[in-house]
Amino acid sequence: MGRKLIEHPFYAIIYGSFVLFIVFPIVYTLGTTFFDGSSLAGNILLLDKDIFLLLVKSCIIAFCIAMLSTIFGTSLGFLLYKTDFPFRSFFKIALLIPLFISPYILAVAWKDFIYVFFNNTDLISSSIGVILVLSFIYTPLSMIITGSGLSNINSHLEEMGLLTTGLRSVVFKIMLPLMKPALLSSFVLVFIFSISNFSVPAFFGVKLFTTEIFIQFSAFYNHSLAILQSAFLVVICLLLLYADRKHLADASFLSIGGKGTSIRKYSLGKGLWLGWFGASFWFLISVIFPFIILFIQSFRGGASKFIQAFDLLKSTFSDSILLAFSGAIITTIVGFTAAYFSETKNRNFFNWLLLFVFAVPSVIFGISLIKFYNHPGLDMIYASYTIILIGYTGKFSFISAKLTANAIKQIPYSLEEAAQIEGIGLYRRLRTIIFPLIMPALFASVVINFIFCLGELGTTIMVYPPGTEIMPIKVFTIMANAPQSLVSSMSLIVFSVTLVVIISLAYFGKKFIRST
Amino acid sequence: MSIIELKNISHSYGNKVVLQNLSLNIEANRMTCLLGGSGSGKTTILRLIAGLETPQSGQISIEGELVTQSQKIIKPPHMRKLGFIFQDLALWPHFTVYKNIAFGLKERKEKDVKDRVYKILGFFGLQDEAEKFPHQLSGGQQQLVAISRSLILDPKILLMDEPLANLDVKLKRKILEHIKNLKQNFDLTIVYVTHDHKEAFAIADKIVVLNEGKIEQTGSVQQIQNSENEFVKYFIEF
Amino acid sequence: MKRVIFSIALSLVLITVSCTDDSNVVVVYTTVDQVFSEPVLKGFEEVTGIEVRAVYDTEETKSTGILNLLIAEKDNPQCDVFWSGDPLRTIVLKNKDITTPYKSRMADDIDDVFKDPKGHWTGFSARARVLIYNKDLLDPADVPRSVFDLTEEQYRGQVAIANPLFGTTTFQIAALFTILGDKKAKQYLADLKNNDLVIATSNGDVKKRVSKGEIACGLTDTDDAFEAIKEGANVGIVFLDQQGIGTLIMPNTVNLINNAQHPGNGKELIGFLLSKETETTLANSCAQMPLHKGVKVPEGVPSLDNIVPMRIDYGKTAQTLEEIQSYLKEWVEN
Repeated sequence: MGRKLIEHPFYAIIYGSFVLFIVFPIVYTLGTTFFDGSSLAGNILLLDKDIFLLLVKSCIIAFCIAMLSTIFGTSLGFLLYKTDFPFRSFFKIALLIPLFISPYILAVAWKDFIYVFFNNTDLISSSIGVILVLSFIYTPLSMIITGSGLSNINSHLEEMGLLTTGLRSVVFKIMLPLMKPALLSSFVLVFIFSISNFSVPAFFGVKLFTTEIFIQFSAFYNHSLAILQSAFLVVICLLLLYADRKHLADASFLSIGGKGTSIRKYSLGKGLWLGWFGASFWFLISVIFPFIILFIQSFRGGASKFIQAFDLLKSTFSDSILLAFSGAIITTIVGFTAAYFSETKNRNFFNWLLLFVFAVPSVIFGISLIKFYNHPGLDMIYASYTIILIGYTGKFSFISAKLTANAIKQIPYSLEEAAQIEGIGLYRRLRTIIFPLIMPALFASVVINFIFCLGELGTTIMVYPPGTEIMPIKVFTIMANAPQSLVSSMSLIVFSVTLVVIISLAYFGKKFIRST
Repeated sequence: MSIIELKNISHSYGNKVVLQNLSLNIEANRMTCLLGGSGSGKTTILRLIAGLETPQSGQISIEGELVTQSQKIIKPPHMRKLGFIFQDLALWPHFTVYKNIAFGLKERKEKDVKDRVYKILGFFGLQDEAEKFPHQLSGGQQQLVAISRSLILDPKILLMDEPLANLDVKLKRKILEHIKNLKQNFDLTIVYVTHDHKEAFAIADKIVVLNEGKIEQTGSVQQIQNSENEFVKYFIEF
Repeated sequence: MKRVIFSIALSLVLITVSCTDDSNVVVVYTTVDQVFSEPVLKGFEEVTGIEVRAVYDTEETKSTGILNLLIAEKDNPQCDVFWSGDPLRTIVLKNKDITTPYKSRMADDIDDVFKDPKGHWTGFSARARVLIYNKDLLDPADVPRSVFDLTEEQYRGQVAIANPLFGTTTFQIAALFTILGDKKAKQYLADLKNNDLVIATSNGDVKKRVSKGEIACGLTDTDDAFEAIKEGANVGIVFLDQQGIGTLIMPNTVNLINNAQHPGNGKELIGFLLSKETETTLANSCAQMPLHKGVKVPEGVPSLDNIVPMRIDYGKTAQTLEEIQSYLKEWVEN
């Protein structure tokens, strides 16, 4: 194994750095907890039937959210990526909007919306409310993943189906099975995000496993029990990924068509009205409704609060965007490295490590980073933005790995072998063959991770250096006891900044992809 | 008698004009080869006949019935009773050989489906491969499965897009023999696309030579071999 | 492509290089809402020229995020001064040897009840636990005057409190336990639950719900309540139990962290926070009641001279808090 690692120094550096800077702190924290015999023994006794029932409840809710998000996301993905639906480009970005806003803010907006129209919030302050809000938030993620999956299908396979049967059969019997990797990725990612989410169930007063972990941590200061409980979440996520990989292990994947990766688009014809209805309806309920509330709250007393919010946040723009962009690039590099060596060289352990870190609750991850890096000799990491980038890398590299793995699967290894035979080394092959072919997936990874990094709070709040100002943290610290109008204004500004950057990325990214 | 008629067909991919005002008749129960280099429009003609593309202008009729008219597909692909073999075969990787072939059958009884599938597999000697997946077969076997799949629905017309491009010489000869027999055994009209004039000479009843979306010459093998057309002479020389 | 890679590399380098000039700084962690604490800290910067690097708490983590951060950083503290919105969190830190004694001369005229006997923390600018009520939903005659009134039938489903596992609500319940004793306090809480008590996520949420008219009344802090009035909500404030056990007074507290990296600057900041000027600022911004004598307060801000306080020992209350946490968790969840 040592010799093989040296064979690919780039892989060795990335892998080694991830293990040293991110995995080791977590393992160290978990290890010292589990090997502290006295507290472990005591805490194991606290794991009673109620805790396990709570875990089951959390899994059921996460399952519902993942299913709904994948179903709606796939439908929207089909509409926007595989048909001639007009204004596709607009809706592709517009429907991403819920991802730009913190789940907590959306939960508040939804609750206020329901109250305004129904004068009662009982329905939303429940498990149903949690499922509703998180499904709206994560459906766009599913849409991107499944849309990308649909785009990767060899059009000849679809056309062969169209020659023998109608479109409906082709969709259900050929396209959906062929995009199974994307469907499963979507389900797994959304499930893990949902089961790890704390802010929305806490706000709605729904008791779930994450709120229980938070209580142990923050009300009882029982870190060891919180960490022990977190271990269950990590195990569930690992089992899910194992099932995902096992299920797909024997699946043979298609090759890119001989004339390139042209995507077959279908005419909606008489079904155009249905497309309009679907896209507009989703846009209305997932974006317009909560935004109506945010706007009303922001501008109820004029624009003064909005201006105040802008003044408060403007100092955070450049650092936040630069950090998020850097985080997106780093996570994409790490995720691609893990995915590439997993798919082509069968080195899967790196992927497992990415998932493991992804599944660890933010607060535990934060504590691990503090315990590991808070030493006098490591100030240059702990007291700088580097610690935040480490946090981002740990939290989101798994997403990049998932996105790029699906694209890498579609590339026949023979394309690389042909270059290998000509004596072209790995890095040049990556640069000239692999990257151009999977550029859309890499770009999607950068965009998605940018959004997540920009909005990340759970780990960042624990490790951000004193005196620094980052957008999501400032919104949440100001939120405590700020008037609702100020909070809503800040949310709108965060959203606007994110949207502007995303549109810029989309514009320049498209040009860049075409040039490669 | 013409079974397929293309009248004044023009087609572009984006800004690139591929076919310009092309008219072509394909005779029934004959093997017609569309011969030409890359970008000559031969695959596009095949795809237009199949209904997988819509021309900017012109019309296409099959068995006297209008199926495509200027930017409008009147009869969808799966109702045209065509078989199509793609260059990359397009075998569904998640289906076994059996399922690949049986996919389009609408028989209700499983026994009837089985009988039909195994009959055609038997014709090509592939009965033992029925439960395998495409990636478990050799190149030649995959080719025969693709042909089997295209024949199971008893099409009147078989469209083949450079089906032998990825095979070695020996295998090509073997598959060509099978293809030659198809016309007789299955009462088919075959439209065969190739860039290899030797292939065309070996099996065609009629050859249509294409160059940049236009027909240079149409004729029998002998007529093409003795052509006075400068482009045709140059094309078959090399 | 090369230009893109270069730009990316440059961004990464720029972003990770941080200003590490530590020459004249003080690091303060505070659980006091940023909207109120930040102006005070900026004032300190202007007066002294010492750069303040602050870490604030969020609505989500409800004053426990900072606490856990301090506990996690114990072996190599980054913080110099901890400014808390209540004394109980401070006492948790004292019990874990995270604070070090320091008695500032600026606090000489503050009542000893608001100071740790050994000097680990000093109180200033107090809030009180109050009842906020919606004037459209409750007539003056129907407004509760005691916490014990909240168990009455007329208030069924119309009373909200924040989650008692966090924040100042824990403090208030712990205080009730020290005054009433275990049995009576638990009975009271059971009666509240039976009266369909609404548990909100935070004091801010209580304020919001009462302001909007979702709920008739709720328990919150004075700064939240006065903020609601400033926002134009039609709400009133009651200092409960003025004829009985008194109203819980919660001073801000400040302490010096053990092994702080900038103890000198930390002491200067503590002195500034304990000054009359700071108390005036906090009285103006969030109606916090000065503990110094003779501090001018704006109209509408209550004075401690006019409020009957709850007589408790903060140290004992902190201990009670730890003892009742498990019970409170069960009470909230069932």
